[in-house]
Amino acid sequence: MKVGRWKLLLPLALLTVGATVTASGALATPAQSGAVRVAIMTDCKGGFGFAYELDIGGAQAAFAQYAGGKVKNKNKPSAGMTGISAGGADVNIVGYGCGDDTAATAVKETRRLMEQLKADVMVGPLSGDEAVAVANYAKAHTKQTFIIGTAGSQDPTMQIAPKNMFRYHGDGAQWNAGIGEIAYKKLGWRNAAIIMDDYSFGWTSAAGMIADFCAVGGKITKRVFPPLNNADYASFVRQLPAPDKVDGYFWAIGGNTPGSLTAFEQAYGKADPKQFIGNLFFAFLGNDKVVAPKFVGAYLGGFGTGPGLKTKQAKRYEAALLSHYPKLPTADGFVYNYYNAAWALVQGLEKSGGAVGAALQKAMPRTLASGYEVSDDGKVKLDSRRQAIQDQYQLQLVKNKDGSVGPVVIAYVPNVDQSFGGLFKPSSPPPGRSQPACKKQKTPWQGKLKAVKNGVITKTTIK
Amino acid sequence: MSRGAWTPRAIVERSLGLAALVIALLGPAIFSSYFTTTILTSTFIFGIAAASLIFLSAYGGMISLSQTALMGIAGYVVGNLVTKGGAGGETKGLILGWDPTLALVFAIVITTAIGLILGLVASRSFGIYFLMLTLTFGVIANYFFGQVTKLGGFSPIASINLYMPGWIGDIVGHPDKLYYIALGVSLFVYVLIRYLVRTPFGISLQGQRDEPVRLASLGYTVPLHRALAFGFGAFVASLAGVLFVWWEGQISPQNLGLGATIDLLIIAVIGGLGRIEGAWLGAFAFIVINNYVRDIQFPFASEKGVLPWIGGSFNTVIGVVFLLIVLLSPGGLVGIWDRVWDAARRRGGPPHAQSEGAEPAAVASS
Amino acid sequence: MPRAAAAGLVVFATLFVLVIANPPSESGAGSWRTTNSGSAFDDPGAFMANLLDTVTLAGWLFIVASGFSLIFGLMRVVNMAHGVFYLLGGYIAYEVQQRLTAETPGFVPGELVNTWEWLIPMAVAMLCIGALGLVIEQGFLRWNQGQDLRQALITIAIAVIIADQVTAHFPRSGAFQTGGGNLATITWPGWMERRIDLHVAGVEYSLTRLAILALGVTVGVSLWLWLHRTRTGMVIRAGVDDRQMTSVLGINIGRTFAIAFFVGSALAAMGGTVGASQGGVASGQDGLWLLYSLVVVIVGGMGSLVGAAVGSLLVAFVLTFSASYLPSTGDPAGIECCTQYSITFTFVLIALVLAFRPQGLFGKAA
Repeated sequence: MKVGRWKLLLPLALLTVGATVTASGALATPAQSGAVRVAIMTDCKGGFGFAYELDIGGAQAAFAQYAGGKVKNKNKPSAGMTGISAGGADVNIVGYGCGDDTAATAVKETRRLMEQLKADVMVGPLSGDEAVAVANYAKAHTKQTFIIGTAGSQDPTMQIAPKNMFRYHGDGAQWNAGIGEIAYKKLGWRNAAIIMDDYSFGWTSAAGMIADFCAVGGKITKRVFPPLNNADYASFVRQLPAPDKVDGYFWAIGGNTPGSLTAFEQAYGKADPKQFIGNLFFAFLGNDKVVAPKFVGAYLGGFGTGPGLKTKQAKRYEAALLSHYPKLPTADGFVYNYYNAAWALVQGLEKSGGAVGAALQKAMPRTLASGYEVSDDGKVKLDSRRQAIQDQYQLQLVKNKDGSVGPVVIAYVPNVDQSFGGLFKPSSPPPGRSQPACKKQKTPWQGKLKAVKNGVITKTTIK
Repeated sequence: MSRGAWTPRAIVERSLGLAALVIALLGPAIFSSYFTTTILTSTFIFGIAAASLIFLSAYGGMISLSQTALMGIAGYVVGNLVTKGGAGGETKGLILGWDPTLALVFAIVITTAIGLILGLVASRSFGIYFLMLTLTFGVIANYFFGQVTKLGGFSPIASINLYMPGWIGDIVGHPDKLYYIALGVSLFVYVLIRYLVRTPFGISLQGQRDEPVRLASLGYTVPLHRALAFGFGAFVASLAGVLFVWWEGQISPQNLGLGATIDLLIIAVIGGLGRIEGAWLGAFAFIVINNYVRDIQFPFASEKGVLPWIGGSFNTVIGVVFLLIVLLSPGGLVGIWDRVWDAARRRGGPPHAQSEGAEPAAVASS
Repeated sequence: MPRAAAAGLVVFATLFVLVIANPPSESGAGSWRTTNSGSAFDDPGAFMANLLDTVTLAGWLFIVASGFSLIFGLMRVVNMAHGVFYLLGGYIAYEVQQRLTAETPGFVPGELVNTWEWLIPMAVAMLCIGALGLVIEQGFLRWNQGQDLRQALITIAIAVIIADQVTAHFPRSGAFQTGGGNLATITWPGWMERRIDLHVAGVEYSLTRLAILALGVTVGVSLWLWLHRTRTGMVIRAGVDDRQMTSVLGINIGRTFAIAFFVGSALAAMGGTVGASQGGVASGQDGLWLLYSLVVVIVGGMGSLVGAAVGSLLVAFVLTFSASYLPSTGDPAGIECCTQYSITFTFVLIALVLAFRPQGLFGKAA
């Protein structure tokens, strides 16, 4: 009865393997003393799975540039690196987190990195809901330090704001600062409808658009919230006013940008780029090939980076990055933000003499000379809740000489803080369906936007 | 069947169970803290959830894929009721700030009630149709919690384990407390199920599993029986759900999603759908694989095309393991045990009724 | 009693949509009667548009769900891999269209796509996925006939494996390998990208969506002709009614199963091609389309073509109308209520149908 024997042996073999593996993992493993253990938390699956190499590459490039590390493979960041040392201590990258843009997996991965692999510091996570999960974890684990990678949610540094969590870049609302003012002043919009994904990043991104537009005097006449798992956007697009009844549309859909826009065109005919303002999902994350070609001329919110900016500091950053990983896109927010997070960590370790825990948290830098920063001598400042006040760059889709369509910086918005001049507060709820309300007020950068031409910030204010 | 309580096999099984219990009681002293707080505690918790699934399948003939969703519902109720808002507090969910003990009771009651309702809707469906229906309920619950943003939305409701009932105290600083609570609840559920199947209700439940038409002709209301059993399954799942949010501290729609549902099914099948003990065995096996095989990554399709057709990650591994188990040993780990025993005793004749086949007593109609 | 309540609910909902609802007022004050565009009488154009959206969405749903229903009805196999067939079909069609229209990698403007450059990708996708389904059926399911649960578990395992592999390998060509999430979109033929005047209530409607409806109707009619006018179809219908009897009569039911599985899987791929054209396919959508297929079959009844059509219409109706005709009270910006509860209505639909007929509207009595 050969089959019968197989049926018995194979599962038994699996069991034996499993038992051995368990036994080796079950007994306590002492942590290596003296070295600083760092984990890089990113996504390898889900909507942002492609950013795996981008995030790791950005962080490791900073380690290579400022902490003496040597990358193992110039074309594959996840191959790892060696020889990192800061503040007199060796720095070991103990693991790469593999999230999938959901909070549940983020918690699992965080536990694995911080408890099983015993990391002292986490660089990451990548996305908004993951950061909310990690921020709550950080609140309960004060001895470990967390430096956010690129998350766009507001809560981690506004409402939750644990003392051991740092973010050296703007949140999703900050990325869109100024775009509402551009809509009002350059496109002449007075009223607009807004459509956004019905979850935290959609609300946060939309909040930035709404806050600025209403601050200057615009009115949001309709808000539409298609849910994330949605096959057919037709019925939601029908909730929007027709193109002849409204000046423009703010489009904060990232879950399925092409699908929503296709549904719009099927309902209302060809879209006029002058009536659309998108967020970063119009031009990044692959949509530069699918969405952007249909919207040449449309303005869109940025990603906290200034593609094509010609300042000395930007060039220095780009050269440094490319010297370690020549294929990484320099103005990609994933790369840039992880680079800055790792660089900040190195500076913190230098100041704390290689110590982690509370000493490191005290020593983490409160300013950072990020590549695309221009204000205050090119220094990003952290506010009282360890959140960056960062310059933002707003974009426009243009057709390049080779026929491709890409974003180009057209406006510079100085010193955008997370509260938008007091509109968002720790005691107020985070951006949601009805947050923020449409209020006329004065943002700190109102009237201070400067036009940018060919990568150079001009002296012309945008009126 | 058995010739009394003390057959050699029963003696061996009971000794093994006792040994496992002793090891479990000494757990925090023997194993590393990561192993006890992450591997073993979650084994107990998911074992409880799997036990609810296996109870329904082994004794009720109903394969329910709603157990994960019910677990999640209990967790969401606790999360929404117990967390507090305000500065430094939670930002998602209803943030009502109720007394944790009251919230705990409420969660169990509401989940059981929802289980009863779902059971009533599904009670006249049998076999594979029932499975489809419960799967649909589960996915709907997932989308519900994602879309009804007032109850949390896609962001996690967090820090739930900072609001523990007073009689439990702080479990973040003392995770061993939760370990023993989970162990205790597991024992309670195990004993409860073993007791329940011997009661008249339990026996008539097994009767409707085998011969629903005959039972109906005897005057029993079969749909009601099934609905009540489903409600009991929901009760057990709610216990698992409450423990889960205490353990994880957070809950989000992904915890009720299709992936989580299939994971629980895989746990039950790996353990063995025919016996309750399989629940914790399967949970342990799955969590161990989940944890320690995580770092195996097959080469992705690279530019040079090295091994271009084998890519993927952990999910492929668990899928293959699951497939092998379904094809080769549908009785799961418990089935292997049964086969080992039979092979060792060289028993001929018909195999033990509970050890063969992934489907306990296929129900008559479609 | 529950039936009376259900009937009353349906009547109220109809009246609400047709008459009772109010459009939002300028000042912003609203009531429970305020909906996005008012009732059918207030805005017949919007009502017509919503009706057309429903019917065209139903066409899309039908294409996918009919395949699922065919496999389920004939072989009692819950093909949990149906969702990944949809997904993989969409990706294959994307790859083929990329190679046919080599102009710009990634995005192809509509003007450059002619009808063949859409039909050929669809045909290739259908053939590939049909073949994949056939391989799975012959390799894994054929020798498990009669063990419904085991077959369902096998398809679940395969779905997990394929979903993971798809994430690792697709999309292969064009833009996304360095840039995007794994969303892949196909372009409709250029002549379809316009709207036509329907001369009813001043509505201009998208030609593309009407084409989807036409495609769905074609699929339905073809399936009906196949099932009712050919020998194979006759065998399939006999097999749906009584499998054992059919094989006892000496008919090669195994070959028919293979054909049916091929066709069912191919239909999933067709649906995937439509989906990729409408907005793209991405990982995660396999779960969504499995849910839609399940709901359509539960509501419409398994194994019935008419049931799949009616089920598709009902599900599409719930999805579309709940977005537009649920109250959006309180303010013209329509913020706080109620469209986010649309998923709940899918459940309500299921509960309503099962209250009247547990086997679905057109299913065979259990």
